[in-house]
Amino acid sequence: MAARRSRSPQLIVGAALVALLVLAGLLSLVWTPYDPAALDVTNKMAPPWTDGHLLGTDQLGRDVVAQLMAGALNSLLVAVLSTAGAVVLGVALGLTAAGGGRFWSDTLTRATDVAIALPGILVALVLATFFGPSNTTAIVAIVVWFVPGAARIVIGPARQVLAREFVEAAMAYGRSRSFVLFRHVLPNLGPLIIVMASMMFAGAILTEAALSYLGLGAQRPTPSWGRLLFESQSVIGQAPSLVVFPGVCIMLAVLGFNLLGDGLRSRLDPRHAREVVV
Amino acid sequence: MGRLILRKAVVLVVSALAGSIVVFLLLRLLGGDVATVILGPGASPEARAELRSELGLDRSLIEQYLSWMGGLVRGDLGRSYAAGYDIFSEIVARLSLTVSLAATALILSWIVGLALGTYSALHLEEKRGGAIDLIAQLGISIPTFWAGLLLITFVSVQLGWLPTGGYVPWSESVTGAIRSLILPVLAISVTVLAPVFSRYVRSSMVEVLREDYIRTAMAKGRTLRQAAVTHGIRNASIALVTVATLQLGSIVTGVVVVEMVFTLPGLGRMMITAVTSREVVVVQSLAFLTILFVLVLHFLMDIAYGLLDPRVRDAEKAGSHGR
Repeated sequence: MAARRSRSPQLIVGAALVALLVLAGLLSLVWTPYDPAALDVTNKMAPPWTDGHLLGTDQLGRDVVAQLMAGALNSLLVAVLSTAGAVVLGVALGLTAAGGGRFWSDTLTRATDVAIALPGILVALVLATFFGPSNTTAIVAIVVWFVPGAARIVIGPARQVLAREFVEAAMAYGRSRSFVLFRHVLPNLGPLIIVMASMMFAGAILTEAALSYLGLGAQRPTPSWGRLLFESQSVIGQAPSLVVFPGVCIMLAVLGFNLLGDGLRSRLDPRHAREVVV
Repeated sequence: MGRLILRKAVVLVVSALAGSIVVFLLLRLLGGDVATVILGPGASPEARAELRSELGLDRSLIEQYLSWMGGLVRGDLGRSYAAGYDIFSEIVARLSLTVSLAATALILSWIVGLALGTYSALHLEEKRGGAIDLIAQLGISIPTFWAGLLLITFVSVQLGWLPTGGYVPWSESVTGAIRSLILPVLAISVTVLAPVFSRYVRSSMVEVLREDYIRTAMAKGRTLRQAAVTHGIRNASIALVTVATLQLGSIVTGVVVVEMVFTLPGLGRMMITAVTSREVVVVQSLAFLTILFVLVLHFLMDIAYGLLDPRVRDAEKAGSHGR
């Protein structure tokens, strides 16, 4: 099908962007062109291509490339932990809702509906009021934010799998409900969960950036893309390049995971050519 | 219809009460002593005790909750500890900015989403349709605050066309208000709403174009484009109500972020300022009012659906509650 062929470039571009991000982040552990925290007051706001600073320096003379690489690591860290948390809790909740009794199932489904409707940023704000801004605050907030959505995505397909013959067979064989859910339903949801995780990764990177821009996420000395953009705002007239680069990084990272998710979806489930707007 | 309204109203009240209890308990139990959070760990025990009695924190949780709820009804939410303003009147004063921001972004995105989505559905197999999809994909990948910063950099700083931030109230100058809202509205629309709407319209339009009534319309001499515009857009725009309601959370997030980027004195900025100065009492009321607002809109949407779509009413009459 034409639609399918045109989707493979998505997968390739997405995977390449993600690989680049992971590479840059991991490389920053062992090597960055300069120390990301090293100040160089004689070289403040150097434009790109100055004195070996490939993308220039910021308002305190710190190397932009080094900070972007360290920021990539921070984004990945937050995204990996929060996506993992949201997927595990969300899938568990979704399976429970799908497999539970009628009352339990209805209540959970309704509760996730209400929770999805609520602005997730409230969680981050409430947490930050008490615990102050940090990566941990951001991670916990993103997990709580994403869990209802993850559960909601899983409930429907889980119910469909539960209605199939082999599940009935397993039940007739005397398997417990939870055994069936984890041994039969969960593996069948594998492709769905992989695609969902990729999309959530994109969402987590975006959310982390927004939270750290608002000052609710990672604090200095930890470089984060959102924080870099916040700091760039005060010198927006003098050094526009500082506003551009961190944003490009965020955009490419998010685009990468979104394309990867889309590509995986059509690869893993050819029937599913149509897009679902979440 | 009456039954539908009644049932949805019960859901609304129950959810709102549950929401208020969750917000209240979270903010009371999560971080320990509220007075310590507000005053910082260095405060003397006397100062903390004084603040506690000032905020009514020395009473039982149930008393505190009831007096908060009572205050909501009476329009008395107490005073901000750090900034000294009256919380309720501050919220009222900031409401118009936040609402006009959100509503304008919503309307603009609605129009853009319908236009782009329809165009891309009509040219599904061509490069043009794919290009629109790619643009939507890019828009979703751009952080809202970054779009705001780019607009400030290029439109305000470099070209000098619009203010870099700040807000002129409608009562002072209509053009001033419009000028201060253009970039914030653009930032929200481009990155949050328009891409989602256009992708949704596209997929719903692709389905509509396969319907028999489109073929009928074309058999009667309409072109595909005309048929899509007369039948498809109506279908898609009603369905967009649902999508818009589902996007309420991201609209709120977008508004908060954009108010920070453009230093707009709205509710989002009030919230962030309250969070950074640890004003538990302010955060509590703002969080609950946001939840209430979202729930009420959901309620209205459910009712509107009942009015617009006879199938929803019939389902209600038949008593089939299962979805």
